[in-house]
Amino acid sequence: MGKEMKKHPIIVCRCENVTLEDVEKAIDEGYTDLESLKRKLRIGMGPCQGRTCLPLVIRILARKLRKSPDELLIPTSRPPISPVPMKVFLAEGEDDNEE
Amino acid sequence: MIMKSELIIIGGGIVGLYSAYFLAEKGFNDILILEKSYLGSGSTFRCATGIRASFTTEEHIVLLKESINLWKKLSRELGFYYEQGGYIWLFRNEEQLKAFTEFSKLHNKFGVPTRIISVDEIVEKVPMINTEGLVGGLFDPIAGKASPFQAVFSLENALKDKGVKIRTLTRVKKIIAENGRIKGVETDSGTFEADKVLIAAGYGSRELAKTINVDLPLNNVPHHALVTEKFKEAFKPLLIDWTYSAYIVQVQHGNFLMGMDIEEKPQQPLYQRVDFIPKMARVATRLFPWMRNVNVLRYWTGYYVMSPDRHPIIGPVEEVDGLYIATGFSGHGFMMAPIAGEVVSEWIVDGKPKYRVAENLTLRRIKEGKFIHEKAVFG
Repeated sequence: MGKEMKKHPIIVCRCENVTLEDVEKAIDEGYTDLESLKRKLRIGMGPCQGRTCLPLVIRILARKLRKSPDELLIPTSRPPISPVPMKVFLAEGEDDNEE
Repeated sequence: MIMKSELIIIGGGIVGLYSAYFLAEKGFNDILILEKSYLGSGSTFRCATGIRASFTTEEHIVLLKESINLWKKLSRELGFYYEQGGYIWLFRNEEQLKAFTEFSKLHNKFGVPTRIISVDEIVEKVPMINTEGLVGGLFDPIAGKASPFQAVFSLENALKDKGVKIRTLTRVKKIIAENGRIKGVETDSGTFEADKVLIAAGYGSRELAKTINVDLPLNNVPHHALVTEKFKEAFKPLLIDWTYSAYIVQVQHGNFLMGMDIEEKPQQPLYQRVDFIPKMARVATRLFPWMRNVNVLRYWTGYYVMSPDRHPIIGPVEEVDGLYIATGFSGHGFMMAPIAGEVVSEWIVDGKPKYRVAENLTLRRIKEGKFIHEKAVFG
């Protein structure tokens, strides 16, 4: 990785502040599937749920492994699709803290 | 080409990995671990991350106390997140308080220093809690939490250094035995020979054992958990609201991880249910009204692999020479994994575990109907 890169790191995952360098290093260390990369680097575990970072990481991993993105196993998507405050799930009348 | 190992471990979850680790520590490293998906992909990476010894039987209390010592030691040596933040069991009536006063005496008898605490002391330890309806708690100061992700990755690296072989994406289809002796396993990518086999495959152990006519009476019960966005540290202990069979813990990076028992039938596929998050949100916001504004990030499901008496089945199977089992942890596999691994390594290398109570956990007790019965299971 060049000096320029260190000074201006390329952010892959904004939620967890993971750089391109972090991702490439982890792949070199042997974390060569998306499930392991996710748990090693926390990509896809922040509020964006992987919508920003995952397509990027899929491309980086596919390029490094010389595979097609279709060949990679994609991590399971978990609900809710985007972050939802707890109060939204409370029944009417419970929101104001009454039992 | 057929590959031969001294031992094949079926299952690359935390129990299989710790078993390999303690065996390799004893110089027994001719091991092949076979995992059908990726390491930790079953119950390990879905667990609540808590580690405690506040149980209700001598077997569980004694073994988990030792497990805590091992978590402490190995997290330091291997370099993964572990924190002894304690547990607080929260009670909403005198009956619960009375029952746990008795359990606490049992904990103390076997060296686990739990004690009943007042509502004021709960507030001291968890200042943000809403105490309405609480009558007291049980504080377990030696309980804690660890990162399942870091634990699995650290163990994987340590095992590779010790020469243990790991194959992921390899599904074992059947176990091969001849004249009552283990010969190896048949997988979707060929046959692997071995003199010994350890089945540490969660509920999958049941199907595998069936292939050599060993009956494991396990039930696979779905459980539900969610995690919120992250915050700076709000409280250290894992909290259990006994009335709702619910727990909340702030994990390594600051997210709140929580779960509660909702009615489920065993052997069901893992479905996300529309009623879980509302039920959980009700309990969470009752304990912490400010959580109304906290975002839920992810909701997932996982299994508790239940044995008939809620204790694991660990040790040799008498009918088949070379066959060992470690499964049926009933929701406590992660916390129990270090001691389970150590006990497995002692059965295999020394022929007998160091802790006498560990001898009570073999399959024989189930065949003979000598159940031990754990009462403190939640989530």
